[in-house]
Amino acid sequence: MRKPPVHTISKDAIKAWKITAALYEIIVWLISIVAIVLHFVLDFPLWIVLILILTSIVSTYLTVFLLPKLRWRRWRYEVFDQEIYIQHGILVVSRTLIPMIRVQHVETEQGPILKKFDLASVSISTAATTHKIPALSNEIASDLRDRISTLARVDEDDV
Amino acid sequence: MSKPEKLHPATIVFNLIKGIKDSIFLIILVFVTMFDDHLLYAIFIVFFLLLLITGTSILSWSRFTYRIDGDELRLEYGIFIRKKRYISKNRIQSIDLTQNLLHRIFKLVKVEIETAGTGSEAEASLLALSLEDGEALRAELKTLKKNEEVEEETSTVPAETISRKRLIFAGATSGSIGVILALVGFVSSEVIRFIPNSFYDEAYKWLIGLGLLLMILMGIGVLLLVWLLGILGTMTKYWNFTVSKVGEDIVITHGLIEKKQITIPIRRIQAVGHVESVFRQPFGYCTVIAEIAGGSNEKGEQFSTVLFPVLKVDELNSFLQKFLPEYQADNRKMHSLPKRALKYYIARVFFPALLLLIAVGIVVPHFIWVPILLLIGSIILGVLQYKDTGHVMDGRKLSIRYRTLSKTTMVMNHKRIQALNKKQHFLHKRENLATIKLSIVGKMGLGKHYFVKELDEEELHHVADWYSYRGV
Repeated sequence: MRKPPVHTISKDAIKAWKITAALYEIIVWLISIVAIVLHFVLDFPLWIVLILILTSIVSTYLTVFLLPKLRWRRWRYEVFDQEIYIQHGILVVSRTLIPMIRVQHVETEQGPILKKFDLASVSISTAATTHKIPALSNEIASDLRDRISTLARVDEDDV
Repeated sequence: MSKPEKLHPATIVFNLIKGIKDSIFLIILVFVTMFDDHLLYAIFIVFFLLLLITGTSILSWSRFTYRIDGDELRLEYGIFIRKKRYISKNRIQSIDLTQNLLHRIFKLVKVEIETAGTGSEAEASLLALSLEDGEALRAELKTLKKNEEVEEETSTVPAETISRKRLIFAGATSGSIGVILALVGFVSSEVIRFIPNSFYDEAYKWLIGLGLLLMILMGIGVLLLVWLLGILGTMTKYWNFTVSKVGEDIVITHGLIEKKQITIPIRRIQAVGHVESVFRQPFGYCTVIAEIAGGSNEKGEQFSTVLFPVLKVDELNSFLQKFLPEYQADNRKMHSLPKRALKYYIARVFFPALLLLIAVGIVVPHFIWVPILLLIGSIILGVLQYKDTGHVMDGRKLSIRYRTLSKTTMVMNHKRIQALNKKQHFLHKRENLATIKLSIVGKMGLGKHYFVKELDEEELHHVADWYSYRGV
């Protein structure tokens, strides 16, 4: 656990995350717009409107422009024959070791946004935990899924 | 036991009671709303409802069958939707036999079978079997391997029963004492505040003094009563608590009014530990607990299964030697935390208490002394948490120790740890500290996670190396 894992996830992840975040930000902006309209129509207090607009600007900057890049830079994974090694987290860096013989099942998943960029996520489940590698190119994700499921043998002492 | 068997007919009574209990609210509602004008209708509706409950109780009993076929327990049940549930014998986590008062009158037993599956309910719950049938079913489910020795040699089975004295001690130091101490502290300080005004008032000082004395005495009486009830509760629950090792299983029996028998296969145990609660630690006593995959209903210390309610910490080793030698770990050389971790431990408990202090200070300044005491307590707790936290590796076993309020030590086997996680934020990074998270399978088939916070990074890497299968 001294060194970080070597592989980065697909660079397109940044775009996919930006789009997802932007979709959420639309809702935040809608609330601000409603507040502005209310201010002019019904004398809704101005300071609340200003706070809402400020929150919208800050949160849009953070979730759409700043965080996806930082998040991508931190996301790393590496699959060995004996275990899977994952790193993620922006402020809190988290590194996880998952032994192959503890893996119960592995699955790939592709939502509409990931599909647009030909990406897929891989979820690895043990009896106690689930770990998700968020955005790999579809091909790598499938290979990874197949590789992990072959490597994950059943231990005689499973749960 | 290959032909389908029905439960004992008394199941109908249990179903009936459960049905009435579930619909009692509806019945009351009907009566309250219709009592004045339509009493006759109300009675009619309730009668109809009861008839319905009785009908479904009888039907669900008559439709419920169980049988053992090869290596499977097969249940068939359901009134409108027929359900079949097959449970493989070697997936069974634990078998619990419970007798409540009603069961004991009719010499019946409730059998609950747990697997590692998700959910709080037992996978198979047989409400009422005759005692012999229940025992027979249990024995049948246990005979998995063909070379099983006959379990008749009861004399050589290691067993341990709780002594009366210990039981009383367990009750006296159970959770209820904490509530009482807090109450005593609060009330007595309020009384002291109250005395000067009235006591030295000459006219009716004596009278009020007497009244006050009476009130104090009554207060003490109530507290004593709560405490005694706590003792009584613990005693009836853990009455005759016996743990024994039968072949590959740990069998636990306890209870005075509700008798319980729990069978846990040793290879299904995920971790074993002991909890030293604040009231027991000064006397050198602890509770032995085990973490078992699956949803056992047995709620004990921190929702884990209790292996023994009170034991001297010194006796722990011989206890484990007798029952679970694979979890006997050398905990003497715990690696404690580096000095620089202390501030995080204090901060974590200090700031919530400080917030409370500010809030109380603003809202009810009269009671400001309560959060001040809490604040002092929180600092002490933080220091204790820091001092008690540690870990040590012993062969293929990892022991960790931590304190929330009670000091807990858990021993887990390498092969039971499902994943290892290291977390480090930017402040930690500067000081080479990190938090380790160890995940095992716990209650209800969910993960149970143990943390050792603010560990020296290098020590964490040692644990990671020990855990890693790459053989670094």
